[in-house]
Amino acid sequence: MTPEKTTITYDDRSVRHFMSASIFWGVIGMLVGLLAATQLSWWQMNGKFLEAISFGLFKAEGLSYITFGRIRPLHTNAVIFAFVGNMMFAGVYYSTQRLCKARMASDFLSRLHFWGWQSIILGAALTLPAGLTRGKEYAELIWPLNIAVVLMWVVFGVNFFWTLIKRNERSLYVSLWFYIATIVTIAMLYIVNHLSLPTSLVHSYPIFGGVQDGLVQWWYGHNAVAFFLTTPILGIMYYFVPKAAERPVYSYRLSIIHFWALVFIYIWAGPHHLLNTALPKWMQYLGMLFSLMLWAPSWAGMLNGLLTLRGAWDKLRTDPVLKFFAAAVTFYGMATFEGPLLSIRAVNALSHYTDWTVGHVHSGALGWNGFMAAGMFYWLAPRLWKGKLWSTSLANMHFWLGLVGILLYTAAMWVAGITQGLMLSQTNPDGATLKYEFVETLQTIHVPYMLRSFGGGLYLLGFILCAINIFMTARRGIAEPMQVEVMILKNKDRMTLREAFINDPVCHAIAALCFMILWFFLPTHADKAALLVTLLLVYRSVKLFKKNSTQWSDFFNRLIDNYLPFTVLIFLAAAIGGAVQIIPSLLVNKASQVEERVQTLYTPLELAGRDLYISEGCYNCHSQMIRTLVPDVMRYGPLPDQGYSRLGESIYDHPYQWGSKRTGPDLAREGGILAAEAKQMRIGKRDNLWHFNHFMDPRQTSPGSNMPPYPWLFDAKTDFKSLPQKIAAQRTLGVPWPALSRDEIEQSARDQGMEIASSLVKAGAFLPDQAKLSDDQLRNHLAESQVIALISYMQKVGTYDVVESDGKRPVKWLDPDSHRTQFRAAPDKNTQN
Amino acid sequence: MSTPLNNTTPEPRRAEYASREGEIVIRPHEYDGIQEYDQMLPNWWLAIFFATLLFFPLLWIGYYQLGFMKSDEEKINSQMALIEKAKSKALDEMLAKLDDDALINQWAKDPAAVANGKETYLANCSACHAQDRSAKMVLAGGQSIPLPGLPLNDGQWKYGASALRQFQLINDGTPADNPGHNGARMEAWGQKMPPLKIVEVVAYLISENTKDFVVSTGDAPANP
Repeated sequence: MTPEKTTITYDDRSVRHFMSASIFWGVIGMLVGLLAATQLSWWQMNGKFLEAISFGLFKAEGLSYITFGRIRPLHTNAVIFAFVGNMMFAGVYYSTQRLCKARMASDFLSRLHFWGWQSIILGAALTLPAGLTRGKEYAELIWPLNIAVVLMWVVFGVNFFWTLIKRNERSLYVSLWFYIATIVTIAMLYIVNHLSLPTSLVHSYPIFGGVQDGLVQWWYGHNAVAFFLTTPILGIMYYFVPKAAERPVYSYRLSIIHFWALVFIYIWAGPHHLLNTALPKWMQYLGMLFSLMLWAPSWAGMLNGLLTLRGAWDKLRTDPVLKFFAAAVTFYGMATFEGPLLSIRAVNALSHYTDWTVGHVHSGALGWNGFMAAGMFYWLAPRLWKGKLWSTSLANMHFWLGLVGILLYTAAMWVAGITQGLMLSQTNPDGATLKYEFVETLQTIHVPYMLRSFGGGLYLLGFILCAINIFMTARRGIAEPMQVEVMILKNKDRMTLREAFINDPVCHAIAALCFMILWFFLPTHADKAALLVTLLLVYRSVKLFKKNSTQWSDFFNRLIDNYLPFTVLIFLAAAIGGAVQIIPSLLVNKASQVEERVQTLYTPLELAGRDLYISEGCYNCHSQMIRTLVPDVMRYGPLPDQGYSRLGESIYDHPYQWGSKRTGPDLAREGGILAAEAKQMRIGKRDNLWHFNHFMDPRQTSPGSNMPPYPWLFDAKTDFKSLPQKIAAQRTLGVPWPALSRDEIEQSARDQGMEIASSLVKAGAFLPDQAKLSDDQLRNHLAESQVIALISYMQKVGTYDVVESDGKRPVKWLDPDSHRTQFRAAPDKNTQN
Repeated sequence: MSTPLNNTTPEPRRAEYASREGEIVIRPHEYDGIQEYDQMLPNWWLAIFFATLLFFPLLWIGYYQLGFMKSDEEKINSQMALIEKAKSKALDEMLAKLDDDALINQWAKDPAAVANGKETYLANCSACHAQDRSAKMVLAGGQSIPLPGLPLNDGQWKYGASALRQFQLINDGTPADNPGHNGARMEAWGQKMPPLKIVEVVAYLISENTKDFVVSTGDAPANP
């Protein structure tokens, strides 16, 4: 029987669409990033600069839609989901068809995917500046858009797997492994981290609260980096680098190890975003240790990329595509070395909350993602629009502008981050007080901040050259479909799930993992037994591998001939890490996780203020987490009875607000006790008038601050009507609000607003554009204003009630730290005596 | 069971074979023109990989099974206890040599101390008490609006007029039993600043309000 032949036409139209969209959104996303960067240097960039460029037509101290807190999420979402997302889809659609020798399964789905994704981006671009946000990083989009994202991801997944089913190539190439991992893992991460309870069409609360929300958030956040910005781009690297270099891939076995190690290990590393916080220590250790384990697998990807270029180095001088690829892979290596370094708890103590992290992210995003994108675009453009690249020298110029831009950017962030980290922990000669005020450290890094904007500007300029180049190439070329003749392949994908699972390699791996997990959680002594079994299993599998290496590798070769069992195994490998960290934290009951402090419930007005805090994006610059570190405690929690933040202090927070960057100081101890003779009004570290003046003009109260002014908060009214719905949702989520009627809720909020407004009027608060109001009028005006709600929240942040306990931590299953407490009890007593 | 010796099929060419024979194996399959070598993993790479893998059980066993190292709570509590001790010692030492006379006649007359105090005042205190100590801010429109703090240039010293009292007030903040000024209560700056800085601020305030601060003749004599 001779194989049937058929002629297929690749769907390059979708590739062209995705690529053009990526370039378009890339320019916008980077432009927004540049604006955000300048805002950190000059507060006027938050809107006041419009006065100058509109010749006085626009008049305000700031414009809500473009404040840093709102456009920083716009920037991150735009570059991740719009720029890299569309670039990834272009690369996946192009290479998958060729690696499968089949056209994408459904033109309808391809088109739906493209237009659906662009509509989501448009939705994000409209809602984020309007302050409609879920308040979780890279997961800010409101719930209707979340549903749309999931639907579009399913459309993408169906289209992709359907193409795999229809493929005319028996075996799956490495790129496809990475694409599969991307699709299944992102689906899992995105859905779990976006589970929320809507309170209106544009607002919802995440179902997780406090530490659980933080854990889920960074399980997602870290792995968005892993499975959205890394694995698909590695897949793209494995296809486009050998294509462009016309050289074989360096090592197949390196691909295998690298692939499985990344997919399995990455997921565990999320807690390294919460090191030294109130997160239980065993998860911090898992986060740090698995991050260290990521170093070698990540470098394996770099090696496979760089060493594939071996023998093609001479082309680097002339071919901009290879230049971009070589630099991108090098930046990948740099960023994946820096990542494990930053996740060492001691290093993280200095680097976390500073610009070092920002620099690290950008060496990945600008260097790895941006340069891989550019290399791919320049390689694809002449092929998608038959012809030649419009200008090679322009592409070379893009390369050098981009390279200098990245180097300036990352170097500036290293300097800024390390300088600020060191200054924040520097003490006076007495060793008992800190040397610098927070704002002094901010002023010191003013020059690196400007250099960062300059570097970012150069990078954007280079990218605009790329856009022009691709546009001209497309205009001069012809977009004609590419046809190839292929053999139709039947009789593929014959392996059953049983065959895929019941064999030495898989069984040993699963058994060893199970015992490793038992080792974390079993009580004292049983854990050691579990460790012993794990080690024996590892030893046995190494011996078996030595003996049957041919069978073991044949098994894998057969596995990649069969997409379904392969996909199931990938999903398992990617799901384990998250399950081990998240499920115990959901099961261990909340009462034993509070560390003797339970958050004081918000009043309705304070909740409204908190939602404003989230909506304005305050969490982009302010943390609410005093880490178990001396400089943090000295700066933010010095009173002997307060100290570092405990788990219970944020247990009812949906979403959690621990933050990830301190452009301003931590706020965890801003709140305070009820004011004298007040019913609900609290006065914390600072009084109401201070906050009032601070929101009006941050530099009046904190000279040298770069915080934007918030003039619109003084006019806009607090939304009292939505409060009952929000409180009902929180009750459903387990926040013990007292039973209050709609009227009681609104009345309580209005009363508290009036209390604060009265205190402000009495203290002499003054609104420049309402100067004619009498005291009574001013009080009534202020009582309903958003600034009052926000002040009420500021005066409440971090307040807690002490829970009586015997001081002993109950020993619990699924809580390794509790075993250790029991175990350490004896030596502790000795030191006390 | 077959052993490699009596195996009739030729050994497939894999990386081990290649390293033995000194040649590079290229895998037979080709994907859209892409081929793959099957080279051995570099030894230095393996060393990094195994070292990081090994570090995991070592640290975990050390911390959770053998009880090495203090927990974060133990560590921070003992460190902060030391700091609190140093802080109260420094305060006691300063208080021992501080009285109205020393503040007024020595510190407030030391130009260096006054200058340092002014610097500290402008950085930390002017947000609430104004740069000119009037506790008022003049806006662009010409209105003068109050700031949260009390004026420090009107001859009024709400919490007691002695020089030493000013030091205590700044160090400890608004007294706990006092509702403060319009609800505004000053924080305990002693938590943030060493006693020396606070003394300098007091020296600056005295030097700007010389009429308000005189050593009362009935007081105990100054330190010998």
